[in-house]
Amino acid sequence: MYNLNRRLLLGLGLSAAAVGLAGCGDDGGGTDEPVASEDIPKSGTITVWCWDPAFNLYSMKEAEKVYQKTSPDVKLNIVETPWDDVQTKLTTIAQSKAFDQLPDIFLCQNNAFQKNVENYPDLFADFGSSGIKYDEFPEGVVGYSKFDDKNWGCPFDNGTAVNALRTDILEQAGFTVEDFTDITWTDFIAKGKEVLGKTGKGLMSGEVGSPDILSIMLQSAGGSFFTEDGKANLKDNEKLIKSLEAYRDIVAAKIFTQVNSWDEYIATFINSKVGGVINGVWILGSVQTAKDQSGKWAVTNIPKLDGVDGATNYSANGGSSWAITPKDNKVLAADFLAKTFAGSKELYETILPKAGALANWIPAADSAVYKEPQEYFGGDAIYSKVVDYAQKVPAMAPGAYYYEARDAVAAAIPKIIAGGDIKAALEEAHKTLEFAMN
Amino acid sequence: MTRTSLRRLPGYIFLTIAAIVSVFPLYFMLVSATNTSREVISSKLTPGGNLINNYNALMASQQSLWVAFRQSTIIAVVTTVLALLICSIAGYGFEVFHSRGKDRLMAVLLLAIMIPFAATMIPLFQMFAGLNMVNSVMAVVLPAVATPFLILLFRQSARNFPHEIIEAARIDGLSEIAIFFKIFIPTMRSAYAAAAVITFMAAWNNFLWPKVILINSQFQTIPMMISNLTAGYVTDFGVLMLAVTIATLPTIFVFLALQRVFAEGITGAIK
Repeated sequence: MYNLNRRLLLGLGLSAAAVGLAGCGDDGGGTDEPVASEDIPKSGTITVWCWDPAFNLYSMKEAEKVYQKTSPDVKLNIVETPWDDVQTKLTTIAQSKAFDQLPDIFLCQNNAFQKNVENYPDLFADFGSSGIKYDEFPEGVVGYSKFDDKNWGCPFDNGTAVNALRTDILEQAGFTVEDFTDITWTDFIAKGKEVLGKTGKGLMSGEVGSPDILSIMLQSAGGSFFTEDGKANLKDNEKLIKSLEAYRDIVAAKIFTQVNSWDEYIATFINSKVGGVINGVWILGSVQTAKDQSGKWAVTNIPKLDGVDGATNYSANGGSSWAITPKDNKVLAADFLAKTFAGSKELYETILPKAGALANWIPAADSAVYKEPQEYFGGDAIYSKVVDYAQKVPAMAPGAYYYEARDAVAAAIPKIIAGGDIKAALEEAHKTLEFAMN
Repeated sequence: MTRTSLRRLPGYIFLTIAAIVSVFPLYFMLVSATNTSREVISSKLTPGGNLINNYNALMASQQSLWVAFRQSTIIAVVTTVLALLICSIAGYGFEVFHSRGKDRLMAVLLLAIMIPFAATMIPLFQMFAGLNMVNSVMAVVLPAVATPFLILLFRQSARNFPHEIIEAARIDGLSEIAIFFKIFIPTMRSAYAAAAVITFMAAWNNFLWPKVILINSQFQTIPMMISNLTAGYVTDFGVLMLAVTIATLPTIFVFLALQRVFAEGITGAIK
């Protein structure tokens, strides 16, 4: 109702140009350019959909405070909406063409970004001349929300992969965290077996059939489930085959504890059943719920694939970016993001210590807050470390059908672990993915 | 006597195990509401001392629990009252009045049971958005007030209702509407109780449609709030279990209050 009234007022009161801009919202104005800086509104309410009060909502509220220092009459209406619901609502609104119901900004999982922009272009506005400097973000992160050579997202949540290890467990086996830094998966398996032999604990865990670790491995070598032009790329994908071989070997070495659900996965490291965890940096939030393990954890980079061109010790899993919708408020929304999440060190200095929200925005890494030692991780300045890792993550072709590809590969994993032929399993997965894409 | 008891022993053992298996999740939910997240993950089975902390954390969450509770209650009560009234009139009408097309119409209604909600969700949203009813209670209530299942339930119950009473009432000069309200409703209490329990639970637990149509935070219902609690990177399982416990209470209360008549209603419908 509010939006409707506002639109009516706009229609009556604003110039023909402004009305024209509003009209773009209805015919899929995702392609036009935001206007120059003098036309940025000084007041208004920006509606935002995002999830996780302790993380994204908190960060948004802090961003509101930062923006209000220069534009005190701009307010935010933040609606807590879990990602699955964001997706359901976007689909419903796109198909029913009730674009009035869209928020001005929503948070979108990086892995789902391409598919949504491709399928529902009416829901997105590009950042065009919003003033966001995309070269201040790691290339790999920007790639998630780039489509048709335009930027549709403002990167936020950092998904850089880390290898978090229990130093006390490593010590029992005569290792330090340095022994696990800059190593290959072959080294990791050999050392992991030793740790297992001496302590009875593996070094990793994961949900059965979840391709998280596998996609981390694949991206660490710059590999993708897709070709550069977006076609399925599972069959005869050398990097994927190497990743699957490494995955199979880790499971065979019994250093990887497989569980049935996400809650059990969290329980494996909270309850010290395993001595480590490899995932996006956001997993450290769950790690730190075990207060009694403070000082016993360390963070290092992930192992790299053996014998693969372009293999690195850096990768990513997850993460999310802010999207703006082609509504009347798009200019204001874009400016808000440009001046906060893509332009305010102060914001990141507040949200890092309080929420553990790590920047993808490279200039924030210079801040002193990032260099502060973290007691939980043995006094190591893990945040500047992770931001450094983030810049080394190889870019990859994201592909619109990322989740379909993940599902297809996930179905192949149990067959491969049971000793099945990797090439044959991938050929089948390739067919499944192609079917899903057509 | 002893022999009979012995013969029944395996049955009792089986029933005891079945009872434990059914009640255990409820027990775990109640106990976990008093424990910390860490203890829940470690599957602690004894009550702990964290209930107050969990309660405070739940109260401090993004949206007020009581606002969500009120929203859910309004939706569930209004849906139940309207659904019972509309579906019982329909069921009664289908059974008592005669017309040529009524069986065909009933068949069409029954076919509608087979259409999944996901198929009608987008046109429904379009309709309510067009009527400017997004974020309104009625947008959640209206699609749930006339369900083929309830109409069928009331039609079956009306079949057991003695038609002689209707004839007698007509002869005594009672209007058709008065017959329905003064004679049918009081006699069919058990059918209403069964329908009330089913509708209330469905409305209370309804998730997908409210999630889509109620966009603003202040209109969120209890199931939506619980879903929000699990959406973050870190889930506090103690708080989650407390929220689930609170969300379960009204349905348990409604069921217990109407249990006896509910059982009669269900068997009555099957007869």
